[in-house]
Amino acid sequence: MASQTDAVRATYRMARPGPLATLKGTVRDVLSRRRLIQYLVRADLKKHGADTLLGNVWWILDPLLTMLVYVILIAIILRSNREAYPLFIFCAILPWKWFSSTIGAAVTGITTRELIIKQVNFPKIVLPIAITAGGVVSFIFGLVPLLAMLVFFYPSHVSVWLLALPIVAAVQLVLTLALAIIVSALTVFYRDIGNLAGHLLRLWFYLSPALYGTDQLDKLASEHPSLFSLYELNPFAAIFESYRNLIYYGQAPTWNLLGLVVLESLVLLVVSVLVFRRLEPSFAKIL
Amino acid sequence: MPPAIDVRTLGIRYNLRLTRRNTVNVTFRNLARRRRGPTHFWALRDVTFHVDHGESLAVIGPNGAGKSTLLQVLAGILEPSEGVIAVNGRISSLLTLGAGFDTDLSGRDNILLAGAFMGMDHGEMQGRMGEIIEFADLGQFIDAPIKTYSAGMNARLGFSIATAVQPDVLLLDEVIGTGDATFKSKSRQRVVELMGAAKAIVLVTHDMSWVLDFCNRAILLERGNAVAAGDPTTVVALHEERSAMRRTGGIPDLLPPLDGSGFR
Repeated sequence: MASQTDAVRATYRMARPGPLATLKGTVRDVLSRRRLIQYLVRADLKKHGADTLLGNVWWILDPLLTMLVYVILIAIILRSNREAYPLFIFCAILPWKWFSSTIGAAVTGITTRELIIKQVNFPKIVLPIAITAGGVVSFIFGLVPLLAMLVFFYPSHVSVWLLALPIVAAVQLVLTLALAIIVSALTVFYRDIGNLAGHLLRLWFYLSPALYGTDQLDKLASEHPSLFSLYELNPFAAIFESYRNLIYYGQAPTWNLLGLVVLESLVLLVVSVLVFRRLEPSFAKIL
Repeated sequence: MPPAIDVRTLGIRYNLRLTRRNTVNVTFRNLARRRRGPTHFWALRDVTFHVDHGESLAVIGPNGAGKSTLLQVLAGILEPSEGVIAVNGRISSLLTLGAGFDTDLSGRDNILLAGAFMGMDHGEMQGRMGEIIEFADLGQFIDAPIKTYSAGMNARLGFSIATAVQPDVLLLDEVIGTGDATFKSKSRQRVVELMGAAKAIVLVTHDMSWVLDFCNRAILLERGNAVAAGDPTTVVALHEERSAMRRTGGIPDLLPPLDGSGFR
């Protein structure tokens, strides 16, 4: 009797699509929900400005104040003598702010939408995508003080290489999107990621050449070459150096390192999407 | 013509290890004391039925029988762990109203957002905006953030949005009890209209008068199994007999699950 029931059960089974079909389906889903992503981004931006006195001015003030803190710490207290130090670190602080705030929002991106996930069927991947897209907008606003700083205080650093900024930003965008997608899905299963994320992000920031330059790691490079190549595998080493080449040094980015980051990021993006889609059916059960 | 809803040997399994707020700590503990206690729970199993175009099916049963889970599967929110489901046509689900809004946004923004979540066309939603606002009867509050709304206003807005779409397959989950008396009669009338327009309906309710008045078929779910199906009068009678027995402290005999073949 039992085996007969099992036989009936085995007759009907939902097919699980392969990886390629999953990727294709995801792209189709996302394109068909462009409007939803647009609304989510707009809602997010609206909320950010709504409750504070200065509203959206904070997007410009925030990176400036962060920079000021580090300038006080390093240029004044630790007496760094690098020329145009505020500009030097701003090249890294601005993109990092974009990255860390996006990941920070992505951590809770799925879990805070619990109610709607249990009520309506929609491709959940639009949530981390919308968060990432919202980050792009605030990054663009952050470019305003950067450009103002260049023009008014450091006109000698201005070069045509500034026009290559969107290329480096695009590379960073792919990396950010990939991480936002996977982090948002994993937090559903392990809420600890929310507690951990802030600390890991801070560690990552200090391990990347944000407040210092890779040129200051000469000692490490000559004594432990293998450790140094490991250091260069950090995508943010290449990303920060590239921003800095464009903005601070006025020269070409290190294309081969940047190319490596593109490769890493694309692989990570594919893996993230596949993992996300595999976990997605369980969201409504676990939330 | 394929049926509007076709469900075969449907099973929904919950993994008890993963369900509910997990931390790494709990996972390790669970790994350590492996194989103790049940690891799975079948919210639904071996459920087979179909709903043809023009039919309305009532799903009844005691609390925890799997009725709402069944609606969540039909709405595409849950994926079958076993078996297959096929739904032909656009679905609207009225599952738990009034929740899921973005409370910092205005009523108007929430209408657009909800429409986008449901996959409605933007132009269509814009076109229905006036109708939704009028039905919800929120006055100038429609431009205030949702967090300033009362529970009743919230429910009214939710109901108006959810019923504004014109679905082929209508899923209703105990939606009739929202708002004051005026809104209740208004919403009952709206549901009746929708039921007239939809091509197929699945209704989950504890109100047996709805089942007898509006449905032409019923199934009785108990402990995740379909145990009776057919004419609403017969199924309701069986359910009420068993509920009456439970109320007086008796435990009715377990009914054997229907096998799919007896269903058609």
